[in-house]
Amino acid sequence: MFGAVTLELMKGLWTTIQIFLLTLIFSLPLGLILGVGSAGRWKILKRVIQVFVWIIRGTPLMLQLIIIFYGPGLWLGHNIWSGNEAGRITATVVAFVINYACYFSVIFRGGIEGVPVGQREAGQVLGMTKSQIFFQITLLQMVKRVVPPMSNEIITLVKDTSLARIIAAYELTFAGFSFMKSAGITWPLFYTGVFYLAFIGILTLLFNYIEKKLDYFR
Amino acid sequence: MKKKLIAFMLCLAMVFSMTACGGSDSEDKKEATDNTEAGESESDVDYIKDKGTLVIGITEFEPMDYKDESGEWVGFDADMAKLVAEELGVEAEFVVIDWDTKIMELDSKNIDVVWNGMTLTSEVTSAMECTNAYCNNAQVVVVPEDKKDADLAELTFAVEAGSAGEAAAGEKEYNMNSVASQADALMEVASGTSDAAIIDLLMAGAMIGEGTSYENLIHTEELTTEEYGVGCRKGSDLAEYINGVFETTYGDGRMREIAETYGVQEAIVEQ
Repeated sequence: MFGAVTLELMKGLWTTIQIFLLTLIFSLPLGLILGVGSAGRWKILKRVIQVFVWIIRGTPLMLQLIIIFYGPGLWLGHNIWSGNEAGRITATVVAFVINYACYFSVIFRGGIEGVPVGQREAGQVLGMTKSQIFFQITLLQMVKRVVPPMSNEIITLVKDTSLARIIAAYELTFAGFSFMKSAGITWPLFYTGVFYLAFIGILTLLFNYIEKKLDYFR
Repeated sequence: MKKKLIAFMLCLAMVFSMTACGGSDSEDKKEATDNTEAGESESDVDYIKDKGTLVIGITEFEPMDYKDESGEWVGFDADMAKLVAEELGVEAEFVVIDWDTKIMELDSKNIDVVWNGMTLTSEVTSAMECTNAYCNNAQVVVVPEDKKDADLAELTFAVEAGSAGEAAAGEKEYNMNSVASQADALMEVASGTSDAAIIDLLMAGAMIGEGTSYENLIHTEELTTEEYGVGCRKGSDLAEYINGVFETTYGDGRMREIAETYGVQEAIVEQ
């Protein structure tokens, strides 16, 4: 029984990992673009991003999941997701990417604005172009600044994947619940905690390593 | 100062124009929706035949829908659903759904039927096109063994929100806690946060007693009896089609045969 449950939870864990990785891969660049846009000088763009971030941060992620997965079929009359496992995971990733890009953008903006003006001015004095200044001075120093708040957000992402059960994506928590619903066994649900702990343990070690690596930037 | 004000006004104007665009856009789409809906409601059966799959929304629920050792979905409901798919000449595809969102799953076309020991309540029949009843069930009281002689009126019951069990408890004016699922209701009893639960008889048979986490729970009184049906999209002709399959398979004994495989032959309803 223990083996069978572990195997089934591993299946759920794999979906959780997929959601986690895909969300990171797409939301980090998107968040950076939004962050740069909102730290930039173009006021209209800034305003648009501000309103967008307000909407996404101002509504529950669970609601966003439901709107993205059911919305097209309910209101536009055309379901864009396939109802199978892959379609549910894709919809989950889309919702998570949008949501996390907004949170990341705020962190990136803080990181960019935290780089002293003197640094950019020094770049100008040295005759660097605007893009050189951004990539070689601002971005590089921003990365170090954003690691601690990012690690917080990324760890939250691991646990937020459990929200995907609302649209029946078979992730770790859903797998844990399924034993309770079908066979009346409760311990697998609590056992999922061990998987989350291990996952986040590995991430924490990784972040410690990255922070140490970036130590020379002082 | 003036510049700022102008910039702000411009922004506002843009936001409004954007929402205006969005508004007209969605209206256009809505019209399109209405048209397609009118077209499709004529024949959901043709729509399913065209796409070649019957997507069946289920939750794991022994003996109706569950996975056998090879990982295939079996059970009385699963086997009957496969039979209907076969009659339609399409592939049967099972999708595990969250029971709370089953109507949205249907309406958004992520699934084509809800076939999972669904009790025919007035809420269900008003939101979905339902088939005739095919199976009998009852709502039973589940209590820890040491409380089996307690006065029901003094207990607090955990019930699934929106379930037939909740309706039964409401009718008898029992104290109750509404929880998210029948599984949660059992957890309430096991942890002592509620005294007893009211759940489906078939589910109680599979979920409590030996081999489960609820070994000291038993089911006692039957409160209400009820019937199971299959749910299709509102206005769908698939319900009528399934009724036809029920009739022929009840007539030629195939339905009883499948029921006997899963030990529910006593419960099936004459068609």
